[in-house]
Amino acid sequence: MEGFLAGLHRSPFRGFSLEFTEHRAYQAGDELRYLDWRILGRCDRLFVKQFEEETNLRSMILVDASRSMAWRGSPERLTKRAYADRLGAALALILLRQRDATGLVTFDEQVRQVIPARVKAGQWTRIVRGLLDTPDGQGTAAHAALQRLTALLARRGMVVLISDLLFDRDLALAALRYLRHRGHQVVVFHLMDPAEVELEGPPEVRFRDPESALSVVVRPRELARAYADTVRREIAAWRTACRRHGIAYHHVQTDMPFGMALRLLTT
Amino acid sequence: MTFIHPLALLGLAAAAIPALLHLLQRRVPPELDFPAVRYLSAAERESARRLKLRHLLLLILRTALIIVIVLAAARPLVRVRGGGAHEPTALVVVLDNSPSSGAVVNGRLVLDRLRVEAHSSISRTTSADRVWLMLADGVLRGGTREALLASVDSVTPGWQRLDIVQAVERASRLVNAQPSPGREVHVLSDLQRTALVPGRADVPRGVRVLALEPGRAVPNRGIAAVHVTEGAAVIELAGSTAGAVTTEPVPVTIRIGGERGERDRGEIAARGLATPGDRADSGLSGSVVTVSLPAQSLAPGWWVGEAALEPDELRADDRRRFAWRVATPARVTATPAAGGFVAAALAVLREAHRVADGTGRDVVITGGESPTGTRSILQPPSDPALVGQANRGLASRGVSWHWGLSGSPGPIVAPQVSIIDGVQVTRRYRLEGAGAGDTLATVNGEPWLIRSGTLVLLGSRLDTAWTALPAAPGFVPFVDALVNRLVRGEADVTMAEGAPRVEFRLRGADTVGATVFGPDPRESDLTPASASVAIAALGGEERAEVLNDSAFASEGFSGTRRADISGLLLGLALLLAFTDLGVATRTR
Repeated sequence: MEGFLAGLHRSPFRGFSLEFTEHRAYQAGDELRYLDWRILGRCDRLFVKQFEEETNLRSMILVDASRSMAWRGSPERLTKRAYADRLGAALALILLRQRDATGLVTFDEQVRQVIPARVKAGQWTRIVRGLLDTPDGQGTAAHAALQRLTALLARRGMVVLISDLLFDRDLALAALRYLRHRGHQVVVFHLMDPAEVELEGPPEVRFRDPESALSVVVRPRELARAYADTVRREIAAWRTACRRHGIAYHHVQTDMPFGMALRLLTT
Repeated sequence: MTFIHPLALLGLAAAAIPALLHLLQRRVPPELDFPAVRYLSAAERESARRLKLRHLLLLILRTALIIVIVLAAARPLVRVRGGGAHEPTALVVVLDNSPSSGAVVNGRLVLDRLRVEAHSSISRTTSADRVWLMLADGVLRGGTREALLASVDSVTPGWQRLDIVQAVERASRLVNAQPSPGREVHVLSDLQRTALVPGRADVPRGVRVLALEPGRAVPNRGIAAVHVTEGAAVIELAGSTAGAVTTEPVPVTIRIGGERGERDRGEIAARGLATPGDRADSGLSGSVVTVSLPAQSLAPGWWVGEAALEPDELRADDRRRFAWRVATPARVTATPAAGGFVAAALAVLREAHRVADGTGRDVVITGGESPTGTRSILQPPSDPALVGQANRGLASRGVSWHWGLSGSPGPIVAPQVSIIDGVQVTRRYRLEGAGAGDTLATVNGEPWLIRSGTLVLLGSRLDTAWTALPAAPGFVPFVDALVNRLVRGEADVTMAEGAPRVEFRLRGADTVGATVFGPDPRESDLTPASASVAIAALGGEERAEVLNDSAFASEGFSGTRRADISGLLLGLALLLAFTDLGVATRTR
């Protein structure tokens, strides 16, 4: 068993615990106490019993705090960052309630807050405070911070990334692939404001990227269709790439109720 | 292209509005934060060409839309071949109502067809046009359209021949002097070959001459002239065959006298046959019929007669009137000095009973002596030394004319005595004087033959040393005219164009001459000119066209015909607007 408290989740590790799962041939070095004597008596062959043990989950919630997250398309809606904070806090509460060790990492260009995964009392409060204490970032190269994060997540567990994914997809995927390679279960929540999905605005407008000096003058009405197509292709590209690498991908718009977003994680 | 409301074209400046709006809108766009600019950039990169094309297309469509609307508001008029109104035009309609227009072709009067086209031409004029009507009399009639239409409706075949070449030249000069944009001459004529061949109209540049194609040629025969002499009437025929070969002789009748009030004076009626010529294309044209007249049975005096052919397609030339002077021959005496040529001529005339011997002397022909008879024909003396004496003799008779110095040689010009016209004079005296007297002939513009009272003075002796006249064929008829007509103060019977009639010239109570009116003999030839000949005569290919009825109607005013295309432009504007809407919505 990995960790110190049995949780509700199946452990990814085969071990010797209470729940028998299967037999395997004995190998030199195996503990003799797990030998199945009955088979030995009947068949005169050496098998050891294997057990699957319930274990607690180590979850790390990674919240993108870059500047692009501090945007909303309408005053009636939450910013992506606010939505991500609430979604992260809710997720942390659920995990902690089921006794999973849960931690938090916020990042923009740099790693801003790191709250190690714990299951002790007050952890949720610390996570919430960590979210509140993380200002809106300035940086744009979130994928760089993501790559650095992989070094911090040494112990295998679940990694939940909540981000608008407005960074270099290949670099970000490389980092996520690395986490997956390290044995982490990776879940990506791709946050988008509805206004980022359907382009609207005045007849002609200069849209400025808050993270960079990039700006572009467009007529939203005439570019809306091409933009929507581009967004759909981008989402599809993320989904395909994540699926290829065993990463769970969920597209979430900030007008989506939190319950629905959380349910995505359990399905 | 012209415009009814040209000031509306100022609105073309509005064509710059789409481009200006485009520039102004681009100047200060609002700036908004948008995190997904990278998606926008990608979308824009992919759509850049399509959007650029769309913007360009919309700019063009909207600019074109404004231009088309402004043009439509200006009410443009463009040239069209058929239909539509025309620009102000100066128009002369030449309606040929000469006698030949009275011919009947296919049961219809030629003039009726011409009148319909003239009516159509004038009907299509507007109040902005200037229109004249020219008939065969050559008079240019102006006036309102209604007045001219009434004139056209009342036109009947006339008796005057129309010189089409001259008429077109006059008409084209008139319309060319007008400030109107359009200048046309419509020629509605049967385009007789004889009326076109002689010349070519000088038509100014910019004047269009449209001639109606002549109808089918029909055969015709007519009487060109009638000459009555003692015992015979010579009838000249004219006409055209239209390709038909006529072999049967044509009866000709002649009647003299018998009119109301003349029955008691006598009457002659005779009949002859005219034989067609051997050429199929000439038919009766040029034929001469001599009809023998009965022995002299008419009392002296002036007689009016008429020669007639059987009726054919053109009735106007089937009858021709004439005047004949029946008189007793003059009793003539020639003095020895009158010369041998005069004596010989008198001998011939005496044989023909044109002069008579008698106890009294009506006429004396002298050779320089003083006049002695009632009427004298005086030649200058052969000896220059006797000229003074002869002049004194004239003066003693109260004659204001006398022989002067020698004059230069030259041809005789004698419109009243056509038989000596053009005969050469080598020696002469100038006839000098003033006051009463008729100049009957001139040489080099100076009097050569003078009648003064009962005297006739010659500038030359009737001798071959002075003039070629005695050797000319017309010498005997000239002497006949001198003694029987000129010395009596009578004029020759002249021919004139007009309604058939005879008008007598009077001097006091005496009838001294007659003018016979009738149609020009060339009117009898109904052969139409070919299109190439007609075009050449009416100004050439650049100016003139010969058109059939339908083409004539469509080509009239076509040079300046305009149609208002504002409706078409508005339709185009609507199409542009829909296209713009489609491009603006479907390409979004």
